Amino acid sequence: MTDEHLDRQVRDADPYRPDLVARLEGAEQHLLEEIMSTPKLASVPLRRTLVRRLSAAVAAAAVIAVAVTASTLVRREPPEPYAGPVGLPGGSAGAISGWELDLKAAENLPRLLIDQPGWKATYVNGFDTENGSIRFEKDGRGLEMTWYPDQYYQSYYDDRLDVSAPEATTVAGRPADIFTYSASDFAVMLKAEGPTFVEMRTDAKWTRAAFDEILTHIVKVDAEAFLKALPPEIITPGDVRGEATKILADVPLPPNFDYASLDNGGANDPYQFAAAVTGRVTCDWIAEWKRADKAGDKAAVKEAAAALRTSHNWKVLKGMEEAGDYPEVLWEVADKVADGDVPDWYKDGLGC
Amino acid sequence: MSSEDRFRRVYAGNFDALLAYALRRVEQPEDAADVVAETFLVAWRRSRDLPPDDEIKLWLYGVARRVLANHHRGGTRRERLGERLRQRLSAVVTDPGRDVPQRLDVRAALKRLPETDREVLMLTAWEGLQPREIAEVLDVSPAAVRTRLTRARTRLRELVGDERDAPGHVLDVLTVPVPKEAR
Repeated sequence: MTDEHLDRQVRDADPYRPDLVARLEGAEQHLLEEIMSTPKLASVPLRRTLVRRLSAAVAAAAVIAVAVTASTLVRREPPEPYAGPVGLPGGSAGAISGWELDLKAAENLPRLLIDQPGWKATYVNGFDTENGSIRFEKDGRGLEMTWYPDQYYQSYYDDRLDVSAPEATTVAGRPADIFTYSASDFAVMLKAEGPTFVEMRTDAKWTRAAFDEILTHIVKVDAEAFLKALPPEIITPGDVRGEATKILADVPLPPNFDYASLDNGGANDPYQFAAAVTGRVTCDWIAEWKRADKAGDKAAVKEAAAALRTSHNWKVLKGMEEAGDYPEVLWEVADKVADGDVPDWYKDGLGC
Repeated sequence: MSSEDRFRRVYAGNFDALLAYALRRVEQPEDAADVVAETFLVAWRRSRDLPPDDEIKLWLYGVARRVLANHHRGGTRRERLGERLRQRLSAVVTDPGRDVPQRLDVRAALKRLPETDREVLMLTAWEGLQPREIAEVLDVSPAAVRTRLTRARTRLRELVGDERDAPGHVLDVLTVPVPKEAR
């Protein structure tokens, strides 16, 4: 029996049948959504990768936005202009002291900083109580701290065991394990403390000596010190109302829009915050469109569609376009829904 | 393309292959759901480190291999994902005992090969991989793969002849039972 003959016999004995997937009735798609609903290293990657480019692009964005405005308007004129109100409901701003709100939110965070001159927080994401990340940079090197719910500690730890053998150390008074991705790329995972555990990861320009050295400078600080270390452009809970007012000035609001839904208890850089605010409004408009469509309320369907189409003119999205893809995703979803097609991935795309 | 979009593309492009890989190596079809779920969960969490497109399938096989090894050790699932897939696989995968005798003979013979030799032959015949690709999945040298492949074929050739004369059959390719998890 030749090798070829033998291999053919083995191939024939394959217990897998290629028609199987067609009979799964969407179970594979369901699993995909389940997986993508779990936290990962980059908790909101769509925005995160983009935000990294934000600092460099921010100066250029204002200039580019002018050109984008003209081309966008020519490209798409809403066929059913939205005629309802825009902007935030009046009378609610300033009800809570911003600084107190910030302190309260910061109490729930790991609040780790690098106690060495020159390090600057350049990126902040999430900052709800159990998920978030902050990136520090100095002289072309970056260190990102991400925190997760403590219930995921063991599974993340198991994951990292595939990266390298752990090396025990102590960071900010917590027991921790170092994992080596390469000779210039390292991570350290701190044991859970309270509701979260923290993982820190370098970008790929480090040495082990530099990493070991910086770990001795990681300190836990109080809420006030932590907030003061954040760059001024970061939007903390106390800034939410004021900043949201500016963002929503030219944005139509869905019926019964819940302003409290923007109080996400966190701190975000401007891109993340604008994405959260415009995403919330768009999600609510889509929910309204679906409700009206189901109820046969044609006028409400038309109003929701018209409101979604105005997204091409929202000033804040135009300003974000050069920094990342979130506006494009939002516009794509908004256009589809306005045309009567609600894509099944819209919640993932927008973060609804 | 965002990393989420890329992950969706990676998932869509490799789901069939990973499901096939898993189903070929577990005793109960529903356990393949755990292997697939766990493998793609690792990929999702490592989406920052995913290899380029032309290397992704081999990387996923490598991850699946470690996940499978953990299952065989009786390791616990990390997350309760893929329940619907478990149910569907349980419902639609036919009993291999009803397969034609010649296929069953070959599978029984495969079971009698040493694990590493068997894996090389399965990756060749079922996953359609070349020796250099198998070397990446198994993290060994291509020369070692060729040696094992030659050895596996020689041994299987003998065994298939033996099996034809032997009564009865075995239901699947695994020698190690996969423990059922408590619900």
